[in-house]
Amino acid sequence: MRVIQHPILHFQRGREIKFTFNGRELTGYEGETIAAALHASGVRALGHSPRLNRPRGFFCATGNCSSCLMKVNGIANVRVCITPLQEGAVVEVQKGKGDILATD
Amino acid sequence: MNELVDAVIIGGGIHGCAIACSLAQKSRQKILLLEKKYLAAGATGRCAAGIRQQFGTEINIRLATASIKKFEQLQDELDYHRNVGLLQHGYLMLAYSQSELKQYQENALLQKQIDANNQTSLLGVDEISEMVPQLNLKGVVGASYNPKDGHVDPFLATDAYATAARRRGVEIRTDTEVTDILLQGERVCGVVTHKGEIIHTPVVVNAAGAFGSILGKKVGIDLPLYPERHQLLVSEPLEMFLGPTIISFFHGACFKQTPQGSLILGVGDPQHEIKALNERSSWQFLGDVARKLTYHMPLLENISVIRQWAGLYDMTPDAQGIVGETGIEGFYLDLGWSGHGFQLAPAIGQIMAEIICGEKPFIDVRVLSLERFARGELIPEPYCV
Repeated sequence: MRVIQHPILHFQRGREIKFTFNGRELTGYEGETIAAALHASGVRALGHSPRLNRPRGFFCATGNCSSCLMKVNGIANVRVCITPLQEGAVVEVQKGKGDILATD
Repeated sequence: MNELVDAVIIGGGIHGCAIACSLAQKSRQKILLLEKKYLAAGATGRCAAGIRQQFGTEINIRLATASIKKFEQLQDELDYHRNVGLLQHGYLMLAYSQSELKQYQENALLQKQIDANNQTSLLGVDEISEMVPQLNLKGVVGASYNPKDGHVDPFLATDAYATAARRRGVEIRTDTEVTDILLQGERVCGVVTHKGEIIHTPVVVNAAGAFGSILGKKVGIDLPLYPERHQLLVSEPLEMFLGPTIISFFHGACFKQTPQGSLILGVGDPQHEIKALNERSSWQFLGDVARKLTYHMPLLENISVIRQWAGLYDMTPDAQGIVGETGIEGFYLDLGWSGHGFQLAPAIGQIMAEIICGEKPFIDVRVLSLERFARGELIPEPYCV
């Protein structure tokens, strides 16, 4: 399933582009969010709850709930549900609450 | 409805709760705490939650040193069911001039004289850089550091006192505003609540923070107290990365990481801040914090803000608290802490209880009396943010 329309965000589908998720190469479309591209590729667990380490997935899809915080291009706590996908983006599941000192 | 109690404490912040708790431990009398909103609704619940010994006046050093020792024991002493969020990660106070550094040196000496175990030391730029490598040290000439300073959760600490107070027989009534204080000649004889209830009492403690000047007027005392809005914001939680609380008095900036991993960020702007009973946060503050904090630590540029809020300092002319008796018999004051009151509550709670019971307080607080303003004996504390 792919998110085509969104109540508050515009999804102008552009060309197909490549990005990586935990080192694995995936494809998505320019103009859609990172979360939309991940979901379309079958990725369901975007992170883990801080206390019980349970999987957390795509939930509010409007940048409010903190369920989709991921590391993107080395930056922690990026809300992938409202962040547009870019060519070559390095998307990773982050450990814990987000390590601000990590440089990779 | 008329009722009779032995003491009424007005204000459900940490001071009011600590006084109630200490007083109930000393006597089996009927003690009533009245709070117009809910516990910690005022300055306590809005403060930056810092505790430190690094002050510049003798009275504050004595009160802070005693209070930190009490905070360390608070969970056991009050038999509270959990830790009160104590995190002793140290306070790093940056100096931007030799004169500021010299003052820190004098403060450290004074702190050592008062408490031989005080661990305040001066750090050079290299040591600061080693402790907090991400800090922008442009213009920094040194710092004062004490590893025992840190953080306590204001809600948990207030709840710890309130819970223990209730267990000791104190009645706490929230959503109850005191609208008048009754006098019989020059002595207190009761309070009136917004519901029109009259509560007879020979003792009234005014621990209402910035709202306390309104209560002072009810007994004809014009307290030298004015409200000053201060603002804070909190970030999303992050993995622990920041050691000490960082303060720059030069920039009026302060930030730290709480035990949950969130950053609490504050910028003092006393010149421009609103001096009224206004607890609303402003959008200008968000910009100010963003500019100042990314200057001190550029690494913070990508963090997200969760919430911002405002609270009221209860400012006095020398930025020091007003403690003890007044010209009105039975009317006691514990307010005017000007932004550093939260952390002194453990000591002051005990001291107020001792004063009310006619005992000699364990720390002499006569320098904080209301009369000092009439006598012109001000004791300015310069180290406030």
